[in-house]
Amino acid sequence: MSEKTTDVLSTRLGDVPVWLVVLVAVVVLVALPMALGAFWTRIGLGALMWIGLAQSWNMIGGYAGYLDFGHGAYFGIGAFATGAVMVTFGLPFLAGFVVAAAVAAVIAYLVAVPTLRLTGAYFAIATWALAEAFKQLALNLDITGGTFGLSLPTAAGSFGLPVGELSTSLFYYLMLALCLATIAVTYVVFERSEFGFRVKALRDDEDAAESLGIDTTRVKRQVYVLSCAIAALFGSVHAYFITFIHPNDVLAAIITDQMVIMALLGGLGTITGPIIGGILVFLLQRLSSVFLGQSTIYLPLIGVLIMIVVLFAPSGVVGILRGEVDRTDIRNNARELAEKFDLL
Amino acid sequence: MVETGLLIQTIVNGLLLGGIYVTVGVGFSLAFGVLEVVDFAVGEYVMLGAILGGLAAPLLGSEGVFVIPFVLVGFFVLGFFVQPLIHHVTTGDRPQPLLMGLVFTFGLATFFRGTVLTVLGPNNRDVPSSLLQGSLTVPSVGIFPYVRAATAVFGVVALAAFMYYLYNTKGGMAIRAIAEDRTNARLMGIKINRYQSIAYGSYAALTAAAGVFIGMVFTANPGMGLQYTAFAFFMVVLAGMGYLPGVILSGIVLGLTQSLTAVYASSQVVLLVLFALIYVVLLVSPAGILGKGEWAS
Repeated sequence: MSEKTTDVLSTRLGDVPVWLVVLVAVVVLVALPMALGAFWTRIGLGALMWIGLAQSWNMIGGYAGYLDFGHGAYFGIGAFATGAVMVTFGLPFLAGFVVAAAVAAVIAYLVAVPTLRLTGAYFAIATWALAEAFKQLALNLDITGGTFGLSLPTAAGSFGLPVGELSTSLFYYLMLALCLATIAVTYVVFERSEFGFRVKALRDDEDAAESLGIDTTRVKRQVYVLSCAIAALFGSVHAYFITFIHPNDVLAAIITDQMVIMALLGGLGTITGPIIGGILVFLLQRLSSVFLGQSTIYLPLIGVLIMIVVLFAPSGVVGILRGEVDRTDIRNNARELAEKFDLL
Repeated sequence: MVETGLLIQTIVNGLLLGGIYVTVGVGFSLAFGVLEVVDFAVGEYVMLGAILGGLAAPLLGSEGVFVIPFVLVGFFVLGFFVQPLIHHVTTGDRPQPLLMGLVFTFGLATFFRGTVLTVLGPNNRDVPSSLLQGSLTVPSVGIFPYVRAATAVFGVVALAAFMYYLYNTKGGMAIRAIAEDRTNARLMGIKINRYQSIAYGSYAALTAAAGVFIGMVFTANPGMGLQYTAFAFFMVVLAGMGYLPGVILSGIVLGLTQSLTAVYASSQVVLLVLFALIYVVLLVSPAGILGKGEWAS
């Protein structure tokens, strides 16, 4: 990707320093459940989860340039790992949380060793096929509850720490912490460390990166394992919050689709992209189900959105905000497209 | 001990199914060759064909076969006008154009699936066919249901016609030239927009027509597309990207695998077995089992 290496967080938003913006955002987010009711807390919780998931996809898809069309599988793996630990072994949630990340990391490593030898479309297909296979597997295994799904314990003592009642705000703060941690990790690892430069180098030209002495295989594998483990953590919290998980829900292809469109719409390979995209797409989903009644109308909307973004603004909303894509670009794009319709 | 009669019948069923999968695989492989895009929407064309078969057949005297000509024309036109969009995405000044093409068709597939789900709901639909009722019994070999036989015949005929066009006409030569090298083809005066559109349109038409037959053999469902996308991937991965003759072999392998797994294990694990096979092939020989495909990137 040809975007400048300066990230949006370090560019100035007018004259307001970035740290102030971040601070205000964090304070607002922390105060949100106290100011608003349970309904809005749930909405906020969902938005935070999707921002985090989109950010985790952004690591492998945006920064490393490997389109992982099976990333949703790790969300499901995290959910089922937590469920299995809590139901089958009767351990508290915190144990499940840790195990989820560990299991996902191990599976991701085993998958990464062969799969990351593939590039481009082949990688996309292989991961996509893998996710479908995981879903089939979950539907046929006993430990995941098979086609019956899995119900998680809801007792107050099942958390592992004395947190009292399991309220929506508790899960909100859990998700908030996880989401902020994910953003912070992304920022530090991909924008502020040498490792991040290696990742971007291999994305822009893998052969050139290799020739500069970067062990691209190793770097890709590390990025993949990191991003998958994070997705699993979100799956873990989601499972405990929702209390009933089924392979058709937590391993559905739409989960990956949403991560892809959120990162893409916001802007691939940027910190702010998945945040903006996550909020926009999540709100679109909520609003469409509230105002249009049917939740499936959201699917064609997402499809059209993906197509429009790819056609006219491949660097997403962040690209537009940064001025990389302005009105003339879009107009030129549309003109070139019209020329290609000269078919007869 | 495996019963011989059942085994032979299962193999026959598999071969008959393979005929129709070959049609899907060849179109998909050609779309990759010409447009250099891995089309995530391939299974959705199958689904749209099957659903339209289910919707239109009752209007045409409960006869799914009569829907085919309409589907062929309709989807040719649709594909003809979708192609410029894909071409625009994969060329021009944008980062990682090929991956963007993949994402674009991913969006297209979601759009098709979501639209059908929203408009028609998630129910199964039958594609009736009164002409193709019944079956032919061949002693000591097994039963050939007419629907499956007709499906296989359609597959072979469509494939032959397509191959004839590609290898014996000027337009086919133009398409092969574009698949070989787009820039040079353009320099030779080939109208690449038109011929790419013809190629993509033919692919969409064939795939949707195959979908009508698949709907007759099984049933039509808005969610069925994903499976056929997986099948198409499976075939080209096995055959090697862009290597058309290999698709014939891999379509038959696919039909046999599906049929044998469904009978001797369970239809639930068919996808799992296929994914395991894809996986092994991709890792051991990324240029296909015959080793003649391109390494896509």
